[in-house]
Amino acid sequence: MSATLRAWRPALGAWDRPAAAHLLRRAGFGASPEELEQALGAGLDATLERLFEDRTPPELDGSIQALLAAESLELLQAWWMARIVAGGAPLRERMTLVWHDLFATSHEKVQDVRLMHGQNELLRRAGLGDFRLLLHGIARDPAMLVWLDGRSNRKGHPNENFAREVLELFALGPGHYDERDVQEAARAFSGWGTEGRSFVHAPEHHDDGPKTILGHQGRFDGVAALDLILAHPACARHVARVLLEAFVAPMPTEEELEGLAGTLLASDWDVGRTLRVLLRSELFFAPRARRARIAAPVECLAAASRALGARVPPRTLARRASAMGQALFRPPSVKGWEGGRAWIHAGHWIARHNALVELARQAAPSRNGFEVLRDVLPEEPPALRAAVERLAREPSSDPAAIAFVLTAPEFHLY
Amino acid sequence: MPLTRRQLVLDGLRVSLLAPLALRARPVPAPEAGERVLVVLQLTGGNDGLNTVVPHRQDAYYRLRPTLALQRSKLHALDDDHGLHPALGALLPVREAGRLTVVHGVGYPDPDRSHFRSLEVWHGADPRGTPRTGWLGRMADRIAERSGGMPALCVDDGELPLALVGERVFAPALPDESSLALAVLPGLAGERDGALTVADGATGDLAFLRAAARASYDAAARLEQALARGTAADYPDSPLARRLRLIARLVTGGFDTRLFHLTLGGFDTHAHQAAAHAALLETLARALAAFEADLAEGGAEGRVLTLVHGEFGRRAAENGSRGTDHGAAAPVLLLGGPGTGGPRGTAPDLDALVDGDVPYTTDFRALYAAIEHDWMGLERTLPIEPFPLR
Repeated sequence: MSATLRAWRPALGAWDRPAAAHLLRRAGFGASPEELEQALGAGLDATLERLFEDRTPPELDGSIQALLAAESLELLQAWWMARIVAGGAPLRERMTLVWHDLFATSHEKVQDVRLMHGQNELLRRAGLGDFRLLLHGIARDPAMLVWLDGRSNRKGHPNENFAREVLELFALGPGHYDERDVQEAARAFSGWGTEGRSFVHAPEHHDDGPKTILGHQGRFDGVAALDLILAHPACARHVARVLLEAFVAPMPTEEELEGLAGTLLASDWDVGRTLRVLLRSELFFAPRARRARIAAPVECLAAASRALGARVPPRTLARRASAMGQALFRPPSVKGWEGGRAWIHAGHWIARHNALVELARQAAPSRNGFEVLRDVLPEEPPALRAAVERLAREPSSDPAAIAFVLTAPEFHLY
Repeated sequence: MPLTRRQLVLDGLRVSLLAPLALRARPVPAPEAGERVLVVLQLTGGNDGLNTVVPHRQDAYYRLRPTLALQRSKLHALDDDHGLHPALGALLPVREAGRLTVVHGVGYPDPDRSHFRSLEVWHGADPRGTPRTGWLGRMADRIAERSGGMPALCVDDGELPLALVGERVFAPALPDESSLALAVLPGLAGERDGALTVADGATGDLAFLRAAARASYDAAARLEQALARGTAADYPDSPLARRLRLIARLVTGGFDTRLFHLTLGGFDTHAHQAAAHAALLETLARALAAFEADLAEGGAEGRVLTLVHGEFGRRAAENGSRGTDHGAAAPVLLLGGPGTGGPRGTAPDLDALVDGDVPYTTDFRALYAAIEHDWMGLERTLPIEPFPLR
């Protein structure tokens, strides 16, 4: 059996605490101590099924209308943070964030929390389904039409913003199209706009002349242009790259890209089914995938507060995530967050440190450093364990011991 | 193979760990190009240049601005023909020290009156294209390539401005002094230092995180030292002043940052402009005066150049709401740096407006070119003759 095939067969390694914690981190946002124990007892298959469930507390959806009426981005950020930390739908929230980073849209320009919420719900609803529907959905999403100027893209006055980004960032990547494709695709998308907060197609603004897109000729409209993009072989690889970087490790190999793109196509573009293969594969549990990237601020905060059982207002967590460089609904550009080492610079590291020290203070009465080390770093690096032991000898040292674990660089490898 | 951003960040952190703690102990008068600092202060919204540097000898000024014109007797004389807005009085000592330069009529060809687009032009220094990087970010890339460190800082809490976007360098945001204020717990620091220097042969991201954490705690400590430095400078109580104070402390405290960007908003004065504009200029002048005094006290005045600009000036004629609409060229202020004193460039002729706007007489890119090469000591990259800084 070739190395490639071996990578995709179900993992045979030990289902131990580090393996369970790895799955719960990557596919969700970490685990409470109870969830980690439960996962260890239930095994890989049952734990994976649990990650696909949606048991988000209904009050979170009930509160949304009142919250949107306040027109406050901070409240919307807090609402999403609450869903993430509640852990009711781990993989769905995970994919919502992955797609938010890919189809990065910022409130900074959209300036309408209802549109931002609408797009977020689209990513949540469609995020584990058919990628083709997701891409078609995002192209007609009103927040996106504002963000990338689709609504001012009209016959005779083309605006190439969306066409360029869908080719460059969302679906294909550089090198698979040229400037002509951008211009012609922009003409195909012309006439798509917004009316109030809804998508509208205005035939009088659509350029229905003949076009050449990615080597095909015809009087293409926006739907046809998206179908041509989806049919390009680079598209499935592009999606595979997004999934591999989110779930396995940065810089996937050619074999991994080909393999997962094949899985995606074989599943008829079904993201959920593709993830069912990926998340139980040898590749996913391989040493190369473990702790293979730097935790994003939201991941870091959610994992810490879920492991500690700390009851921190989601608004505070969202604000801290912003200070750490990840303001939800406000990615720095259409490219999303740079991620990786770019998460870390002096101001951001200190913001991480301060947020985690505060979490440690709040959690300290009910938890100690040994428990937290076992739950968030089940690999228990010996140097960290020794330091926790030394700290434990001091009186009332729990906050310092917990803070020590959470601010150790090892914890920031996700 | 080109350097990746990751390598640069890592190398930068290594270098900043080794950076000297007390640059200000060095002789001040003739700073090496590698020590010079540029502060860019953006007056967001588009500052009314004609009511900032007032051409009081031109009758047209009084004709165009029946309610907004400033009386000659209230102005602070700049030269025979121009006076500074009355609210800019705090800058007089800076001017008398020969450290305030006004450059008249700065703008660019085919001016765009959109805030968004005009900022993009100023930030990208590319009036015809759609720039993806900014002039400061591109300089930061080259500084990092040469000497590592943390070449650029955004002293704001908003989005990173395009000006600071580079190909490789990630310019951090440091909105206020508290963003480097470290939460402490007894016993934590001792164990932490041990854990960050543990010799377990770690490589990759773990080694990076340890270096980054050490550099960050070091930066926090250096900021604490910088904050502890007594200062005679009396800063007014405004967010702008607090940010300039932070920059002064970083510069005099030995930080290796060479490029700073910050903003003062509110200049989009379409209606009832007089009081609001005066208040903004007073905030600006008092904060800048305190900044210059603080730098002088720290022995750093010779190595900091501050460029003050907006995305455009405003229309020469006031509108029907006692305000002004989006215009074209406007004066730029330069503080510190090589220092010259008097006004520079060609003052606008209000009898020769273009579409009702002050046309540019100095291309802002000529200023950028001079800053890039003559001040920052970098190779010239802009296709334009530099406007000599003195």
